[in-house]
Amino acid sequence: MYLALLGVGTLIIADNDRVELTNLNRQILYREQDIGRRKAAVAKEQLQELNPDITVQALDATIDAASVFSMTENADGIVDALDDYQIRYLLNRVALENQIPLFHGGISGFFGQATTILPGKTPCLKCIVPHPPPREVFPVVGVTAGFIGMIQATEVCKYLLCRGDLLAGRLLLWDGMQGRIEEIPVENDPFCEACAGNATRNW
Amino acid sequence: MKVTIRFFARFGELLGNTLNVDAREGMSVADLVKEAASGNKAGYDTIFDENGSFRDFVIVMRNKKRIRSQDAGSILVSEGDEIAVFPPVAGG
Repeated sequence: MYLALLGVGTLIIADNDRVELTNLNRQILYREQDIGRRKAAVAKEQLQELNPDITVQALDATIDAASVFSMTENADGIVDALDDYQIRYLLNRVALENQIPLFHGGISGFFGQATTILPGKTPCLKCIVPHPPPREVFPVVGVTAGFIGMIQATEVCKYLLCRGDLLAGRLLLWDGMQGRIEEIPVENDPFCEACAGNATRNW
Repeated sequence: MKVTIRFFARFGELLGNTLNVDAREGMSVADLVKEAASGNKAGYDTIFDENGSFRDFVIVMRNKKRIRSQDAGSILVSEGDEIAVFPPVAGG
């Protein structure tokens, strides 16, 4: 929503799901009357209403190895709003290959993390999270998704405006239970399966 | 020697966020964390596998520098160290 309100010229939204009741605590583009409708289409409607001057493309499709390259063709950046590391690793791969930034965010309950991956300048996602945590049904507190999403949107805004210091090479950790933000430096993994530690050398 | 252990996110909920502990001379990072987690089975099992090794997704830092979890058994703690242990989060 904030990217639309910022006036980011073209937003491409990829989602193959339908709106469910359990989404409504955090996915604030949707209303109860949208339950059962395709998420990408509803998101497009809502965002165009918020800002008719931007272009919104709704892709009602699964992000996979076959589709990810065409979805991100000509994109200036990728915003990660996923709940699965295997798909995140696909986005990481396409970001590395196309040399475009990946704005990463993840949440669980009251906890969240975010970082900005700049291929050629920072460690890649696989350097930072080489092994995903076990699959589980994530408890989601809506405000945590909103908080981390805001940080990602802020990063996109700064990147597009070439202003400020990005969360590059830094992983921000949000602990909502303690009301605490910390950051840790992240480093290239020379054994990284995705970039083999070359993420900061081939710019 | 005085050492600080910090558990983040779910680990912190189970084990406490910050523990100031007395570490013995010659103690490794892995030994230290195991001892700190040993009082809470759910916390211990979330961090360590059945062989007592860090689960592969667990991120371990010593003084803000990441260490490979497989090396944590051979890296000894020193006076004033801060050991941080946390899980990446996956939801979105």
